[in-house]
Amino acid sequence: MNLDRRSFLKCAAACSAMAAAGSIFPGISFADWKKQEGASGMITWKKAPCRFCGTGCGVLVGVSGDRAVAVKGDPNCSVNKGLCCVKGYHSVQALYGADRITTAKVKRDGKMVEVPIKEALDIVAAKIKETIDKHGKNSVAIYGSGQWTIPDGYVASKLFKGCLGTNNVEANARLCMSSAVTGFMTSFGIDEPMGCYEDIDHANVFITWGNNMAEMHPVLFSRILANRKRRKDVEIIDFATRSTRSSQASDKSILFKPQTDLAVANAICHEIIRNNWVNWDFVNKHVSFHKGKTNIGYGLEDKFQFADQEEPLTFDQYKAFLDDYTPEKVEKISGVPARDIKYMAALYGDPIKKVTSFWCMGMNQHTRGTWINNLVYNIHLLVGKISTPGSGPFSLTGQPSACGTVREVGTLTHALPHGGVANAEDRAMAEKIWDLPAGSIDPKPTYHTVEMFRALDRGDIRFIWIQVTNPMVTLPKLKRYREGALKEDRFVVVSDVYPTPTTDVADVILPAAMWIEKEGLFGNSERRTQHWEQIVPPPGEAMSDTWQIIEVARRLGFEKQFPWSETEYIGKIWEEYRRFHEGPKHNMAPYTVLKERSGVQWPFVNGKETRWRFNPVYDPACDKGRDFHFYGQKDNRAWIWARPYEPAAESPDKEYNFWLNTGRVIEHWHTGSMTMRVPVLYNAVPSSYVEIHPDDAADLGVVNGEMVKIISRRGSVTMPASILGRGVPPRGQVFVPFFDERYLINEVTLDAFCPISKQPDYKKCAVKLEKA
Amino acid sequence: MKPSEKTIGSLGYLLAAVCFLGIGIVQIIPARASADLLLYDLGGESLYKQYDITPDSYLSAGSGDRNLNGFYDLRQYPGSPPRIPHPAEDSFSGKTQNCLSCHARGGYSPEYQKFIPVTPHPDKELCYQCHVPLKEVKRRFQENNWESINPPRLGRSALGGSPPMIPHSLQLRENCIACHTGPGAVVEIRIGHAARGNCRQCHVPMVQTEPVRVFSRTR
Repeated sequence: MNLDRRSFLKCAAACSAMAAAGSIFPGISFADWKKQEGASGMITWKKAPCRFCGTGCGVLVGVSGDRAVAVKGDPNCSVNKGLCCVKGYHSVQALYGADRITTAKVKRDGKMVEVPIKEALDIVAAKIKETIDKHGKNSVAIYGSGQWTIPDGYVASKLFKGCLGTNNVEANARLCMSSAVTGFMTSFGIDEPMGCYEDIDHANVFITWGNNMAEMHPVLFSRILANRKRRKDVEIIDFATRSTRSSQASDKSILFKPQTDLAVANAICHEIIRNNWVNWDFVNKHVSFHKGKTNIGYGLEDKFQFADQEEPLTFDQYKAFLDDYTPEKVEKISGVPARDIKYMAALYGDPIKKVTSFWCMGMNQHTRGTWINNLVYNIHLLVGKISTPGSGPFSLTGQPSACGTVREVGTLTHALPHGGVANAEDRAMAEKIWDLPAGSIDPKPTYHTVEMFRALDRGDIRFIWIQVTNPMVTLPKLKRYREGALKEDRFVVVSDVYPTPTTDVADVILPAAMWIEKEGLFGNSERRTQHWEQIVPPPGEAMSDTWQIIEVARRLGFEKQFPWSETEYIGKIWEEYRRFHEGPKHNMAPYTVLKERSGVQWPFVNGKETRWRFNPVYDPACDKGRDFHFYGQKDNRAWIWARPYEPAAESPDKEYNFWLNTGRVIEHWHTGSMTMRVPVLYNAVPSSYVEIHPDDAADLGVVNGEMVKIISRRGSVTMPASILGRGVPPRGQVFVPFFDERYLINEVTLDAFCPISKQPDYKKCAVKLEKA
Repeated sequence: MKPSEKTIGSLGYLLAAVCFLGIGIVQIIPARASADLLLYDLGGESLYKQYDITPDSYLSAGSGDRNLNGFYDLRQYPGSPPRIPHPAEDSFSGKTQNCLSCHARGGYSPEYQKFIPVTPHPDKELCYQCHVPLKEVKRRFQENNWESINPPRLGRSALGGSPPMIPHSLQLRENCIACHTGPGAVVEIRIGHAARGNCRQCHVPMVQTEPVRVFSRTR
């Protein structure tokens, strides 16, 4: 080793500091990570939102030279106030996996060969043109993600919906929160939560609906625990289908049979009305009653169509509808004791208590996802506990920009950055801002995600560009869609940072810049937009997803729509996009403000963020003189929906006698393509597993760690058993985390979806088990 | 071993001692109806409940009464049951509360003039099954050539400033709060942020005596 005097002194100082620490604290020593060569020892800290979940924690990334070397929580970010979870603290290690994709690859004679990225982009553009010429504009598609940055999604929508005139734009957020969107749209006429995380510091009761917050939104859950400890008047009710860390931490854990949350929510409303806990002043002024179609199907067949039909109800008609949902009747359906239903109703109905409901995938990945969202809103609306600090229904999101990029930019087939493609005014607005001739945007939505991959299988779609997501792990009933993608005459482009089962089916792989390797913006669960600058350079030829799309758009002749320079394109795109949301209901903060702050909540009006919507004290979009104003719906009221209990698409029977539920663990995020490459996270949970109730395991003759074959009508997977591990399902149910590409649980799942939101149900299908 | 005569050092410790003199601090967690809930996830429930019922002032108090050298002096290898460093009855009297009356709850012991370490597994009541008194004997029966590995090193983080991994197995040591907070804790492993109760939100096990695994794609 060659030491100059300066670095020798530095080293000597460090060594003596270590020796001193060692003499004070015997046994202490320092970590054995590889030391960065030539480092000054100085770290600069740059703000960013965390790369992983929808909580949107602010992190400070420590940079030394051109590498990210450390992470701490951003104390200026009100989301997490300086705290992260284990994924956030180790997030920067996900940049440095040894198998990062750093060059473009193209399939030639069945083999992937490296090519310069410019050549790969030429091929992508030529293939789009060729496919449109041969098969029409609706034969090309782009499939993005709630991990797309806002500019990524915006340019994707502008190119495909605007310039190419196809509504074949979808994102994996369809699999994650589209039921939340349709829930908001049907109940409130406008998307995204009315409350914010500050509700946690005010609420007395937290009811989590099928939501293991302790693992999935740990930073928010810690805030709940700290409030319970500090304030003492706080209780947590875990309402779930399986026992988890959240159940352990709760004051009361209530288990229900899968799908029966619909019945329980109605029973709670029944109890609230029976006991006259209704907030009549609120209901009379701000609520109207409605019903829609029933027996609405499950979308299992190709080209399934559904349109709901709204009919007004009177309160008495709604009350009569609830007669089927007495706690005693619902106990028989749900397995929840009537006294527990009454207890939950009493908490919601207590005029003194502030109640916040949290949910995420349990309610959204549900063949009646829109309905269960409506039903939980019903409860809050009946008692008027909404849009005030500490009281409200709160729909959490799973991805860092599911709200920012998918819901707000509208990267779904029916949507535009403002409104939807079916609306002539919304189309005209987009065509004007995008500088396109009138009539460029097609008024007809095409395919939602499941149907998009069915269309790829059928051959209606021939070209698909997949960015920042891993559908060959996450699509339900995976075999059909993998085989569809591999068919002759299908062209699959994948932009990603690591090899995945999705890059395995690609014809072109584009190396993507990840997270802080590019400038970007995310939008979190509480309407907070978060900007970060480029903090480290991307490796090799890796390029931001936004810039990849811009490059392809220019090759297709759309220079006029994509004129920005590589140094300032993010700021320019943001300011263009912001025009879609002008006005008090959705105004976004300017670029300069976002650059300075650790996230800004919209509506951002006259320099102020809006914490509680529909409440005139906080929300400038409300008419003055009202106590609340639900301005999203045409009648200026929030809508209560009569939605019945209907069974799941597939329930256990004699042969397939177990429920299968899928989900996550705290250490791994989504398909593990990032977290599996982080040593701490991988070693903590190095493999997926199937959680089985101890008695079911005994019946099978399986002990912990032994292999179990999970078989459904779609396929099978063999994986190790986990008995009394991280969670425990009740008898007759099993649970599998989906992060591990070596155990593809989605070979087994069913592609049934909510007919209104088109979001698949990953939480329920029927399987049988064999000892392998 | 005789109880240490060491006086309590700083004013802060003295204050803590006055606060907790002779009273049980860590409350006993009431058991749930379902035994399963206590068993899964390495008994994670006890951690949440312990956090909720232990006063902040106790969690953040320190005494300096115990250090890591003394801690390992009582053990034969990292993770072995510690021997009992103070006079105790020679045989199991059947009165399980003899040990747990102090070690389930912690607090200050006027008898030993020390803060009492809290057991991470108060549900295990047959203490002498694993813990035996440390006695001075005049002559050993035979010498023993026993060797073991170094104890886990402290402060192991995956990157600068990141939360250290849990270097030991969690079996019988699943209650972080028992050993890592409060005035009875070993000074080197007492945490500085006792107001946080969801320990495994940030700290995950990476057992130092097990090989580090690396993800590799099967394809």
